[in-house]
Amino acid sequence: MDVKLEMEVGLGRDEPRRAVERFERFANAHELPMGLVFKFQLALDELLTNVVSYAFDEDEPNPVITVGLRLTDAQLEAVLQDNGRPFNPLLDAPEPDLGLSAEDRRVGGLGIHLTKAFVHGLNYERVDGWNRLNLVQPL
Amino acid sequence: MNVETSYSGSTAVAVVDGRVDSANAKDFDEELSAIIDRGVSSLVVDCGGLNYISSAGLRVFLIAIRKTNEAGGGLALCAVPDHIREVLEVSGFVRLTKVFATADEAQASFSG
Repeated sequence: MDVKLEMEVGLGRDEPRRAVERFERFANAHELPMGLVFKFQLALDELLTNVVSYAFDEDEPNPVITVGLRLTDAQLEAVLQDNGRPFNPLLDAPEPDLGLSAEDRRVGGLGIHLTKAFVHGLNYERVDGWNRLNLVQPL
Repeated sequence: MNVETSYSGSTAVAVVDGRVDSANAKDFDEELSAIIDRGVSSLVVDCGGLNYISSAGLRVFLIAIRKTNEAGGGLALCAVPDHIREVLEVSGFVRLTKVFATADEAQASFSG
């Protein structure tokens, strides 16, 4: 098996959901395990929500966000690319302190924390003005 | 996402279903805030029909935990599906709120 799905993601509030629901249909069509689909979906959602919310200035003339999915017998892979400001969520997001009380807890960084816990391989690179995040989940 | 709430004095049970993510977390926050603003200090959120939650939804839980704690009560969850429970564990939320099997058990925890 070697199947691919490419999609563009807009800047609207509903866009990450639209993208991850498309991923879910793609994954279900290929009968991936539900638990894996949920975790990968959550990771895509958190990363895309970050990009949609913070990567671009309001007057950015040509914001582009793309998601490329590739499924083989060995693994599920996603490549997220955007031409927004340089940001490596794997290093630049604050690490949440899970030991704090509700009063002192901050939610910043929690999405990335979940992403790191739920996806096996994560890699970031900045290439020619693009942020590129690579997610790999062995099957 | 849909929320249906039943009230009993200063306690309420809110049954949530569907997805809570960045697209509708604001709506979810408004739903829970409206319940607390009616004088509810002990809030049970029944997650039996919740099939998806992202960090945006956890943020709403955190706000509700703070508000109900401040009011002298608290927030409890019940009927949490396994995959949602894992999100609560990984994010450390199991330390911030109690998780019960049923709404009755969750409500009973407040009257003790």
